Amino acid sequence: MSAAISERIHAARSRAESLRIVAGGTWLDAGRPCPALSTLDLSAHTGVTRYEPGDFVLSARGGTPLEEIERIAAAHGQWLTLDPVGRAPGTIGATIATASYGPLCSAFGTPRDHILGCEFVSGTGDVVRAGGQVVKNVAGFDLVRLVTGAWGTLGVISEVTLRMRARPEVDRSVAITVDPNDVVKAWRWLRDSEFTPLAAELLSPELAQRIGLGAAPVLLMRFGGNEPLVNAALTSAMVLGELREQTTGIWNVLRDAHETMTVSLRASAKPSRIDATWAYALALATPVGGFASATLTRGVVRCSMPSMPAVSASEVHVTLERIPADHWPAAEARRGTRALDERVRIAFDPDRVLNPGILDV
Amino acid sequence: MTEQLRDRLAAIVGKDRVLTRAGELRTYESDGLPGYQKRPSLAVLPGTRDEVVAIVRVLAEGKLKFVARGAGTGLSGGALADDVVLLGLHRLKRIVSIDADNARAVVEPGVVNARLSAAAREYGLYYAPDPSSQTACTIGGNVAENAGGPHCLKYGVTLNHVLALTVVLPDGDVVTLGSADGESDGYDLLGAFIGSEGCFGVVLDATVRLERNPQAVRTLLADFNSIDSAAHAVSAIIASGIVAAALEMMDNNTIAAVEASIYAAGYPVDAAAILLIELDGPAAGLEEDVARVEQFCRDAGARDVRIASDPADRARLWQGRKKAFGAMGRISPHLVVQDAVVPRTKLPAVLAEIGAIAKELRVNVCNVFHAGDGNLHPNIGYNADDPAEAARVHSAMTRVMQACIDAGGTITGEHGVGLDKLPYMDALFTAPTMHAMCSLRSVFDPDQRSNPGKVVPIHRCSEWHAAANVRTALE
Repeated sequence: MSAAISERIHAARSRAESLRIVAGGTWLDAGRPCPALSTLDLSAHTGVTRYEPGDFVLSARGGTPLEEIERIAAAHGQWLTLDPVGRAPGTIGATIATASYGPLCSAFGTPRDHILGCEFVSGTGDVVRAGGQVVKNVAGFDLVRLVTGAWGTLGVISEVTLRMRARPEVDRSVAITVDPNDVVKAWRWLRDSEFTPLAAELLSPELAQRIGLGAAPVLLMRFGGNEPLVNAALTSAMVLGELREQTTGIWNVLRDAHETMTVSLRASAKPSRIDATWAYALALATPVGGFASATLTRGVVRCSMPSMPAVSASEVHVTLERIPADHWPAAEARRGTRALDERVRIAFDPDRVLNPGILDV
Repeated sequence: MTEQLRDRLAAIVGKDRVLTRAGELRTYESDGLPGYQKRPSLAVLPGTRDEVVAIVRVLAEGKLKFVARGAGTGLSGGALADDVVLLGLHRLKRIVSIDADNARAVVEPGVVNARLSAAAREYGLYYAPDPSSQTACTIGGNVAENAGGPHCLKYGVTLNHVLALTVVLPDGDVVTLGSADGESDGYDLLGAFIGSEGCFGVVLDATVRLERNPQAVRTLLADFNSIDSAAHAVSAIIASGIVAAALEMMDNNTIAAVEASIYAAGYPVDAAAILLIELDGPAAGLEEDVARVEQFCRDAGARDVRIASDPADRARLWQGRKKAFGAMGRISPHLVVQDAVVPRTKLPAVLAEIGAIAKELRVNVCNVFHAGDGNLHPNIGYNADDPAEAARVHSAMTRVMQACIDAGGTITGEHGVGLDKLPYMDALFTAPTMHAMCSLRSVFDPDQRSNPGKVVPIHRCSEWHAAANVRTALE
């Protein structure tokens, strides 16, 4: 299959054509306007290619839907601890390419912390096999991290190898209604607690209401582990307020709520500045009828809105997560080493064949 | 080396900090693998970040090659400078700040790994990646190698603990990679830089994430009649989903070396293998996990499982493990150190094969390794002055490496490729993959002046450049 992708890229280069990489199609609206001439369709490029449950390592083709990986892993009591915003047909290739993540990042990090290896076809048609199938690996330069979050602009991700985890013996979720002024208190509790939740999201009142948790800010937390551990964690969390037990399904409901909105972006700063980041995010989202949820331990707030608000310069950094082409702002603040990014792009895709324009390099 | 260069560098750092005499340079001829010796043309030892930048700019002006070096504890020959400039960073040892609120620290590259944890202790924090050389190795070197350590099983390696780096590129530009204050945009060049073995530039400062000290810790010592039973115990623990903080194995040769040394830890000298297992976290639920792990060991055939009674006992058990390489140094004049990683389900089979290779070639393998990650260190002590023995050792190493690759593994888990593992890169990566690595290196260092000749075999990079030129000519 990678040979076919390589041929397609060679053909496109020779015709000075550009390619839009597509699989599930759930992220098509997410990136910058991408004026590619043709589509490189990976939707048939699916399937788990290797899975050794005892190693907690799974390999899958780029077009494999996350739900397929979830189903196969669940049969062995395992899961992939990535829960990006987006609809169920979303693929692992897109998740890695966009470095998307969700509430589970509290405990498990983002795609760069999960990916062990990958095969990608560069913009020059080279089939590159980076990383490996083991959980620890420093052989050669790290091309794996490089293509993670590169939005396909350095190569078409044809296969990925991922670190899997055991599903916790006990997995319980609770909602706690908190005072709007207690953002810092909740953050501090999480920071100082000996218990690390699988997820801990602070929901704005609008979001809480939308998913049926009342009309006040809610701290939604998920704890996993053996029974004594989870019981102790929940008992300890009672200092924050009354615990309302939820099913784990609540996390899908939360994901779907974000998905219904047209635009989503992430505001971030140092975790200790969470109150300022939270206030900034609410000021963006609330006036346009949107809502927000904060991954408190990481200092990141996701805002989802019906339309793109005006983003003013601030100490809070804004990452544009999913913005349809016609909602893109004319200009945006960018953080990073643009000159180096340009050189990387040229090194891997000199003719800008892959997803041209989707990143500003 | 011209006198002019010496004088220009002396003008930056002072005359005493530029070393040119053979006797002075001897210190820098080897790293942790004394089997390799290369003498730098000159060593320059800056004390501030401005001095580092000024030096790199002088070297860039003259298109001169250089090698950055921290404490020189590396185990791949990666910090050796072969008749080029050696840039020693060990004087940049300032912990710039510890931000307890956000559990992070900003450090200069020469800060010793264990010193950071010691400084963070008063805040109830520590720096998790703990290479066995942590009492000497530096954070700059850890970043260059993407260093691991026993506790990386649960907490992740250097990559997972660095939030941002300020680096000077080989052309003298100073850039920030990653972000210490919210997310960053663009490609993950921070991720690409970590583990680039000094080929992409020089770290000026690193912002690292600290971990909170766990509420409770339990350290278990399980001993076995055979390596195979110990390996099966490892597989069972991993498969159970219990994530140990560390899960280490030592074989009888290693135990004997440790127990005969000043680092004697009270390991059972008649055991074929021992496992050192640490579980940590909240006290609630920990004893249940300890009981399950103990049962997995007994089911796999452990003769005995003992739990460290107090912190002093625990420290002693760990000291034996962490000083094992040093203990081996007492037995043989030379030591080859391997760092291959295999899928954890393949541990019993690969360890059996390593045993068979050792027996056939009559070499003395000491296995001491991060079993939980599948990261093997089959080390062989020998006398390099005996050509016949040296040849057998070399042959054994090549076969061990091939066995690990054949099992679906990799050639290095935490030590890096450096010079030592260059010969195995061709067996592990395809030509286009190494070409891609060369392309990435060229982004940071188009002239390949920073740590020349390491990581990717030179023939691969030159082929790539030839091919690129041909392509350009055709277009």
